[in-house]
Amino acid sequence: MTPRAVIVAAAIVCIAAAALAICAGSTGWRAPWAWTAMVGELRAPRVALAGLVGAALAVAGVAMQAVLHNDLADPYVLGLSGGASAGAVASLALWPGLPPGPAAAAGATGAALVVRGLAAGPYDPTRLLLAGVAVGSILASATGMILVLAPASQLLRSATSWLFGGLGTPHASALIAPAIAVTAGTAWLWSQASRIDRLTLGDDAAAALGVAVTRLRHGLLAIAVALTAIAVAAAGLVGFVGLIAPHAARRLVGPCHRHLIVLSALLGALLVMAADAVARTAFAPRELPVGLVTASIGGPAFLWQLRRGAA
Amino acid sequence: MTPALAASGLAVGRGRSAPVAVLSGVDLAIQPGERVALVGRNGAGKTTLLRAFAGLDRPLAGEIRWAGGGLPHGAARVRRVGVLLQGEPASPFTVRALVTLGLALDRPPGPREQDAVDAAIALAGLGALAERRCAQLSGGEAQRALIARALVAAPPLLVLDEPTNHLDPAGRAMIEALIDQVCSPITARSRGEPADHRTGPLPAQLPDHRTGPLSGGVAVVIATHDLALAATCDRVALLADGRLAALGPPGEILTPARLADALGAQIRRIDDPDGGPPAFRIARPRREVAA
Repeated sequence: MTPRAVIVAAAIVCIAAAALAICAGSTGWRAPWAWTAMVGELRAPRVALAGLVGAALAVAGVAMQAVLHNDLADPYVLGLSGGASAGAVASLALWPGLPPGPAAAAGATGAALVVRGLAAGPYDPTRLLLAGVAVGSILASATGMILVLAPASQLLRSATSWLFGGLGTPHASALIAPAIAVTAGTAWLWSQASRIDRLTLGDDAAAALGVAVTRLRHGLLAIAVALTAIAVAAAGLVGFVGLIAPHAARRLVGPCHRHLIVLSALLGALLVMAADAVARTAFAPRELPVGLVTASIGGPAFLWQLRRGAA
Repeated sequence: MTPALAASGLAVGRGRSAPVAVLSGVDLAIQPGERVALVGRNGAGKTTLLRAFAGLDRPLAGEIRWAGGGLPHGAARVRRVGVLLQGEPASPFTVRALVTLGLALDRPPGPREQDAVDAAIALAGLGALAERRCAQLSGGEAQRALIARALVAAPPLLVLDEPTNHLDPAGRAMIEALIDQVCSPITARSRGEPADHRTGPLPAQLPDHRTGPLSGGVAVVIATHDLALAATCDRVALLADGRLAALGPPGEILTPARLADALGAQIRRIDDPDGGPPAFRIARPRREVAA
């Protein structure tokens, strides 16, 4: 199959999965043509948000992997998950009535800035990764400290459901801003696809081929952090999507970012929509955190890919 | 004629934050179609100088002019200088995709650019492997793919760092023939004259490339430890003691005395009685025998 055919097929599967996800719910199946208030106000926005979060994380993963020259990089790798959870848990402890999303986004962005600051000087992806690991673990221990020492036991429960990712019941109007941001970020990344291709050859080779390496790298990092912050603000920590979607896309359409970015976004959206449908229905009426489902689907899928790669 | 590359009073250094000067006072002008080899010990500054010629590092002092002008940043720079660096990891791209990445970034590749990609792949003798992934190529094929990428935007200057490193004799010969093809003057080629005898006959895979966008006359600078490759160049620049110690035709520069000074090794030069390129052999240091 040509890359274009793969992308068209993925788009069709994505639309079909969205339709199925709208039909499925904890109160049973609803045909999509019976557009009830429940479908229109509860399920459709949630499925749309799942798609957005998945696409944002997948595209952020592509950008991180390109900028760090490391296929194991995921959107959270530069201390972002630690920053997000510390921000969210602090917010839940201090202002239990408010949603933790904005604080999580701020925490993730702050952590990324600190990591970049610590790894200042000549660009070195290894230093950046190591600083990310260190800052991430410091912030993770801070998160644990807050959880253990905070007086309210309610905190533990709300924090847990956030830490493993949860899409909640978003209002349709709350989706507009993230939708615009994710679309704009993805479009910018796509416009840089041929430069990102050159960047994967190494910094010197990219510079020799006419890429303004430093500027591109800053752009990629900024987009990756912004997309991750948006996803984190909306849905908490949804693991594995930003790692496995770019990998799967690379398997299907090869290393050219013109195709890779689009297919990653589609696969990420597909994965989170499917995982959320499972999260809502598997133990209905109780709901699983969607991050647990993505990790439990994504982990084995990743291992399967690895085995196929080795064979 | 405007030199393809002209350096005057050049000083270059290693290290990005606080560079240490490695070479200074380098004056060198390279004419279109000329081949110049940079020879010296490890650490003499071959790669450092080459990186400055490639426009990757700013010189500490002095000036470099590419075809009489500065090197534009960004999209158009591949039209001024093609670069082969050492140690680029095998990429996951196909040969065709890799060579396409050598095109200038300022416009999406159209039919003319596709023709240039095909021509560069053919020139590098990789026509049959165009759809092969670079990771599946042999060392010599991968090196030729990278040279094709450096050539595809038809720059007047090609900067090659150790192009024959780690290659077997056949792979080495292919690179030599490719370089020969690239810098041989247009007139000689259009008369259908055979390639320069010094590099031997061209391998059959290399097409006669009269009409393509890569019309010859490219100036080539090669940093190399391969003295036999240096001997095929028009001039050799010997780098030693932080300066350009000697510059001239290979017959004058690649002499045992000069090489002993510059490389710190006793090197024997074995000339080919048929007029082919000389071979070089390193004499083993004599062991002191205990009395």
